[in-house]
Amino acid sequence: MASVSIPVAKPGLLSEIAGWLTTVDHKKIGVMYLVSTFFFFLLSGIFALIIRLQLMAPGMKIVDQNVYNELFTMHGTGMIFLFIIPMLVGLGNYIIPLQIGARDMAFPRINALSFWLLIFAGIVMEGGFLIGGTASSAAWTAYVPLSTKQFSPQSGMDIWLFGVVLLGISSTLGAVNFLVTIYTMRAPGMTMWRIPIFTWTMIVTAGMVLLATPVLTAALIMLITDRNFSTQFFTTSNPRLWQHMFWFYSHPAVYIMVLPAMGILSEVIPVFSRKPLFGFKVMVLSSILIGVLGFTTWVHHMFVSGVDPLVERFFMFTTMVIAVPTGVKMFSWIATMWKGSVSLKTPLLMCIGFISTFVIGGITGVIQGAIPIDMQVHNTYWVVAHFHYVLFGGSVFGIFAGLYFYLPKITGRMLDDKLGKWHFALMFIGFNLTFFPMHILGLEGMPRRIATYAADRGWDIPNLIATIGAFTIAFSVLIFMINFAIYILGRKGEVAGNDPWEGATLEWATTSPPAVYNFARTPVVESDRPMIELRAKAAGAKSDSKTSGGSH
Amino acid sequence: MTNSKPNTGLIGAAVFIVSESMFFIGLFLAYFFLRGDTTIQIPSDQPVHPSLALPLINTLILAVSVGAMAYAERGIAANKQRNLVIGVTVAAVLGLVFMLVQTVEFSRFISVGFSPSSSAFGSTFFALLIFHVLRVFAGVLFMVIVLVRALMGQFTQQRRAAVQACTLYWCFIAAVWVVVFLVLYTS
Repeated sequence: MASVSIPVAKPGLLSEIAGWLTTVDHKKIGVMYLVSTFFFFLLSGIFALIIRLQLMAPGMKIVDQNVYNELFTMHGTGMIFLFIIPMLVGLGNYIIPLQIGARDMAFPRINALSFWLLIFAGIVMEGGFLIGGTASSAAWTAYVPLSTKQFSPQSGMDIWLFGVVLLGISSTLGAVNFLVTIYTMRAPGMTMWRIPIFTWTMIVTAGMVLLATPVLTAALIMLITDRNFSTQFFTTSNPRLWQHMFWFYSHPAVYIMVLPAMGILSEVIPVFSRKPLFGFKVMVLSSILIGVLGFTTWVHHMFVSGVDPLVERFFMFTTMVIAVPTGVKMFSWIATMWKGSVSLKTPLLMCIGFISTFVIGGITGVIQGAIPIDMQVHNTYWVVAHFHYVLFGGSVFGIFAGLYFYLPKITGRMLDDKLGKWHFALMFIGFNLTFFPMHILGLEGMPRRIATYAADRGWDIPNLIATIGAFTIAFSVLIFMINFAIYILGRKGEVAGNDPWEGATLEWATTSPPAVYNFARTPVVESDRPMIELRAKAAGAKSDSKTSGGSH
Repeated sequence: MTNSKPNTGLIGAAVFIVSESMFFIGLFLAYFFLRGDTTIQIPSDQPVHPSLALPLINTLILAVSVGAMAYAERGIAANKQRNLVIGVTVAAVLGLVFMLVQTVEFSRFISVGFSPSSSAFGSTFFALLIFHVLRVFAGVLFMVIVLVRALMGQFTQQRRAAVQACTLYWCFIAAVWVVVFLVLYTS
């Protein structure tokens, strides 16, 4: 059914805005997450473009080197804390109650609190640019002593730390909310192995957030008191203390950023291959295993920090082991597509982009997990290439797969597939142009975080290619925005209907966009792919009509 | 809501306590990391093994307080409003006494020159005590809310999840205290 437009007394613009500001509906909160985190994506992306302009050729003077430090710090923290993590939380916020057949999240008001804490945290973190004109410039790792008062005297550093504390509270509350929602509010019949795979990955992600974030929060508070109340946690002691506490959170954070994206892939690929997910239980178990092992690898960030060699070897081993469950997922996705009736729509293309780039990031991760190699490539552009292949090639392609897949559900309109394919093609080419040359730069010895370089190093051509690639990515994102503006905001897109992709999970059983109450009647789940039965029942109800649905 | 389904608020409190415990585990790891680091010398004038008198009294106070809270919870489970009010009041007052004793303890440390800013050891030592006493304060606030709601007659045998959540959190705070006490004062 198309959107029913009964001309009720149209609410004024003010009450409409007030409705959004005070909402506790998981769908509206989800939309606000998506919109605001996309804004932070654009902002952090603009920082990246300035960085790439500065590095385009040797000796450029686009920005001052201090400003450069602020830019890469805010690019990294913006992308991680204000885009990737909360964007995936936003998608989860919208989709998970629908997927499990629930009315809303377990704690709707805490849900709203999580969102608003995120917004205020974002403003506070970026606020350094406005207050005193100097944002944090100690990189996203904020290593001591660089981040102490002595070397980072600006108040931008303090409010950055405070902002990350707020984010920690926001995501901890969100994690509690997700776990309780999924535990208590599933539709009748949704047993453990009938929980959809995206919901499963959010369970693991929320568990990781719950266990990892408090340690970072403790470290941040300790650093804030060191800077402002003359405590001595980090100032007179071993600098490795900060590194341990930081990476205890921040390595699991990598999986917090990539597991929900893997969940999106595991939803999208079966739908566009017309096959069930290959090895569903193994996929669930590999997600859990990634979640557990994710806590055992953090010291591989500290191989040059002077950790006991025996400890280093242990963490080298765990770092290589965690590639196994990740590899299981790779094979499962490929096996799902194998001999399927593959329909190369934009969401699936984004998934293929994820698989082909993330595998490179995964392999370079194993390579640099070896201690002697790590010591060579540490703090070089090799590492920058590696984690962009994981976090852009992985998470961001996964996010766009999720957006192309779910925006028809969220907005009720289809995006244009042709523009989507242009977006994908340019982003894929631009991504590889930007980040592949960084492997070579790293091996040639170009360090991270330098504002410029001399002409005689032989680094100029890969850097020029990377800059061209970065602008190609920016152009591809522009195509996405035009697509969104014309086909969704401009309402030019096809009407999506309840189930445009013939999905397998409950979110496709309700209208697009869903009504405030989600489901008119609580759905009863009878298998791990409830929509297959629901469609069969619907087809049986009007058996006189043609039986060709295109699905099997 | 029937009794067969677990209360979402209570489960939420339990999940939240998991994250609270990770916060303390982080602080404990920092403490042991600094203690185990032989390159850091603890200044000789600092009490590595401070006097046990006040913390022992405080342990007793918290134990009685947990008992009072359990009495309150058992009370409302049997629909005895009076037991609930008495139990929560006693538990909250004892929580305040605990905070008072901790303040005395802090001022004694500071008077001998041992403070959060005297060394990395002092910082982690006080961090554990201060973050714990902040939880005690939060617990007392929670009890005051429960008490007010109890006086308004909002709890019954069936509707007592907030009392249960408060009891759970208070037990957690007491358990953390035992570990803090054993690690800071006796290990």
